[in-house]
Amino acid sequence: MNNADYALEAKGLSREFGGFFAVRSVDFRLARGSIHAVIGPNGAGKTTLFNLLTKYLAPSAGAILHDGEDVTPLAMAQMAQRGVVRSFQISAVFSGLSVRQNLELALLRPAGIAWNLLGLVSRRPEVAERANALMHQFGLVEYADALAGNLPYGRKRVLELATTLSLEPKVLLLDEPMAGLGREDIGRITDLIRAAGKGRTLLLVEHNMKVVAELAERITVMVRGEILAEGSYQEVSSRSDVMAAYTGQTGAGAAHG
Amino acid sequence: MTMIFGVPAAVLYGQLLLGLINGSFYAMLSLGLAVIFGMMNIVNFAHGAQYMLGAMTAWLLLNFLGIGYWWSLLLAPLIVGASGLVIERFLLRRLYKLDHLYGMLLTFGLALMFQGIFTNAFGSSGQPYKIPPLLSGGSNLGFMFLPNYRAWVIVASLTVCLTTWYVIERTKLGAYLRAATENPMLVQTFGIRVPRMIMLTYGAGVALAALAGVLAAPIYQVGPTMGVDLIIVVFAVVVIGGMGSIMGSIVTGFMVGLIEGLTKAFYPELSSTIVFVLMAVVLLLRPAGLFGSKPEPAGAAHQEKLEIAGPNPRRQMIAFAAMAALFALAPLVVYPGFMMKAMLFALFACAFNLLAGYGKLVSFGHSMFLGTAGYVCGHAAKVWGFTPELAVLAGTAAAALLGVASGWLAIRRSGIYFAMVTLAFAQMIYFVALQAPFTGGEDGLQGVPRGHLFGVIDLADPVNLYGFVLAIFLGGFFLIMRLVGSPFGLVLKGLSDHEPRAQSLGLDTARYKLVAFTLSAALAGLAGSTKAITSQIVTLSDVHWSMSGEVLLMTFLGGVGTLFGPVVGAFVVVAMQNYLASLGQWVIVIHGAIFVLCVLAFRRGIVGELIAFAGRRTNRGGAPAHSGPGH
Ligand SMILES: Nc1ncnc2c1ncn2[C@@H]1O[C@H](COP(=O)(O)OP(=O)(O)O)[C@@H](O)[C@H]1O
Ligand SMILES: [Mg+2]
Repeated sequence: MNNADYALEAKGLSREFGGFFAVRSVDFRLARGSIHAVIGPNGAGKTTLFNLLTKYLAPSAGAILHDGEDVTPLAMAQMAQRGVVRSFQISAVFSGLSVRQNLELALLRPAGIAWNLLGLVSRRPEVAERANALMHQFGLVEYADALAGNLPYGRKRVLELATTLSLEPKVLLLDEPMAGLGREDIGRITDLIRAAGKGRTLLLVEHNMKVVAELAERITVMVRGEILAEGSYQEVSSRSDVMAAYTGQTGAGAAHG
Repeated sequence: MTMIFGVPAAVLYGQLLLGLINGSFYAMLSLGLAVIFGMMNIVNFAHGAQYMLGAMTAWLLLNFLGIGYWWSLLLAPLIVGASGLVIERFLLRRLYKLDHLYGMLLTFGLALMFQGIFTNAFGSSGQPYKIPPLLSGGSNLGFMFLPNYRAWVIVASLTVCLTTWYVIERTKLGAYLRAATENPMLVQTFGIRVPRMIMLTYGAGVALAALAGVLAAPIYQVGPTMGVDLIIVVFAVVVIGGMGSIMGSIVTGFMVGLIEGLTKAFYPELSSTIVFVLMAVVLLLRPAGLFGSKPEPAGAAHQEKLEIAGPNPRRQMIAFAAMAALFALAPLVVYPGFMMKAMLFALFACAFNLLAGYGKLVSFGHSMFLGTAGYVCGHAAKVWGFTPELAVLAGTAAAALLGVASGWLAIRRSGIYFAMVTLAFAQMIYFVALQAPFTGGEDGLQGVPRGHLFGVIDLADPVNLYGFVLAIFLGGFFLIMRLVGSPFGLVLKGLSDHEPRAQSLGLDTARYKLVAFTLSAALAGLAGSTKAITSQIVTLSDVHWSMSGEVLLMTFLGGVGTLFGPVVGAFVVVAMQNYLASLGQWVIVIHGAIFVLCVLAFRRGIVGELIAFAGRRTNRGGAPAHSGPGH
């Protein structure tokens, strides 16, 4: 495959925190148009890898390529402007803004008006209508004017997903979208993610193996900052070293890694 | 006589010694700040006042009870430290779950109270404190004369610093302390009472400040204001070194003192500002500080959430029109001089609120924009003969420029560090104003002409002048109202809520913050320029840190993050100053008390409480849970 067939590519990527390598010389490729999952026990470095790929963190060593171009020196905002958008492990909504404002805020930049200093947001129909449509699509209409910080946890997750998708990203990275959710919410969000994955490249970190088996075409297993295995669900789940590394250490911690 | 790089050797050694002495105090105080911050995440603004209390206690013990230096060295820290225990137990303990800025605001209020009370009781001038006989005299080292007391201060402070370092980094007690900051629950299960440990840590930190005060008493004058300028320098030291490491604080303290001493020897003009220049350089090259900062944990929002969201533009316009009518008619019943002063402070507070309330960047140095604009406007009107509108424009532009420069550096930090950085920059501007030829120094820039607006409208006419001020206030306010309701305002609110999330949406947050900072500076400058024209004088008090404190007070009292709150707060504070002027320094004590009260019980401020109250009433009336009036 040509380099540019990968939406994201990491080459020898490392990140250390005071002498401790959270991610150690990882080579990783995310094929364009695929749904790819990263799994691994708590502290394996999955979130750090996410933070590196989206440039929230600067790597200690290594390079990151997006569509075959070196994007290592870019900032997170620039990655988002290139269509690489991520969610956060700990639900990230603008808690002091209403649900509607959360969506409007996300839509300002794509609409080209984020630098408008004197106009009124409420007078921008293109933004307001799109926000309304998203609220309908994601079942958030009844919460439109509620402060996002006051939403039930599951709804916060939905709002975060809606906000992320409102940018129509080409590459979507979701860090534990199911963490802390009840069974009902998990079903709904799995459906939303599956729908979102159509026509996109999607990378997700997830502990819920049922969700991973259902969604992901390819799975990477990380342990102690390094990649232990990669392949389809069948390939990966049949390897004994994966089972040992993974099931051996997750146990009760799996839900909140 | 030996010369070193054109400076007499004796002068150089003398200045280095002085630098070492100052460095001793920087080290002891920044060490105490670091210990307190490390344990309780509170920037103890009262640290300078507690240093003053130590010195004052020693002085009182000597003059009223005849207790001498050596006993004071023990007793004063104990007494002041005990007062620290009380402060922690009854005030600070209520703040641990809140944003760290509240701790800084509350201790700022306490500092004002201590300073005001002691000024009332003993006057503001310094009192001498005799060097204890045992340490009087000095020794000739051959290349310089070393007074014994100064040698003692250096030895004592090094001992204190290293002992503290040893206790925290190398003993079991210190291990518990460090563990308690990481995982209080775990330490609790070992049978250690964490709340009491925190209380004692604060007490110890305060005692350390008081000890430094006693050591300082025979060197500097003992007076109620001795800690104020010092604490601002110490904040700059803290930004330079970072509050992450105890040893880092000590080393940085001594280093900054020595650099200051060298500057005094080689380039005295820069000696009072060199610390702040150093801070700027560190911010530029190594924003986290030389020894790394303890990162600011993502705290709770520094604003009490109102249970409603989304401004209602129509209701805002109605309120704005009502305010315009009210202020236009007010001179019929209220003294116009009062109205003009209050409106200009209201504009100043609204400008501050744009940054603090909506961008959650709480500046402790906004006086620099008010004062700089005032000086430039006054100079332009008086010396260059500008017409008032051009002079105001010039002042505003100067404030905007200063805003770009200081904001570019300051936004590299956030939260409490941002507060300290802005405070330090403002102090630097204060020293510049004190020394610059065109500010008139202590006398101020007097006799600023009011002139003719556009060369035609005579501002000596009180009606014209009132109209001018009213137009500026309403124009400025309207601009801020639009900014807050604009897409830019929404981005600002969002990034202050969750900056990484805003970045992940593709928003270049640093640029938005810089624009907000600059606009806030420019609007503060607009108020300062206009004030120069109306009051016809610009003084050092306009650039003084206490002016920054006043704008904080107005905004938090009225309601930070509400549109009209700063206006209400400004009117209350200015009225208080007018009607309580006869109380003298007690007004400062009252200001301090209001700070404490606001932080403890009244975090939404007057307007915020009213909005919350109205929101609760509509909810009870059966309206949908999330509707309510715009703010
Ligand atoms: N900012 C940080 N500072 C220090 N250590 C960190 C930081 N972020 C992550 N780590 C460490 O890196 C390791 C990997 O963390 P993380 O990437 O969050 O793992 P995962 O998401 O797989 O659970 C952990 O041991 C964690 O403690
Ligand atoms: Mg993780």
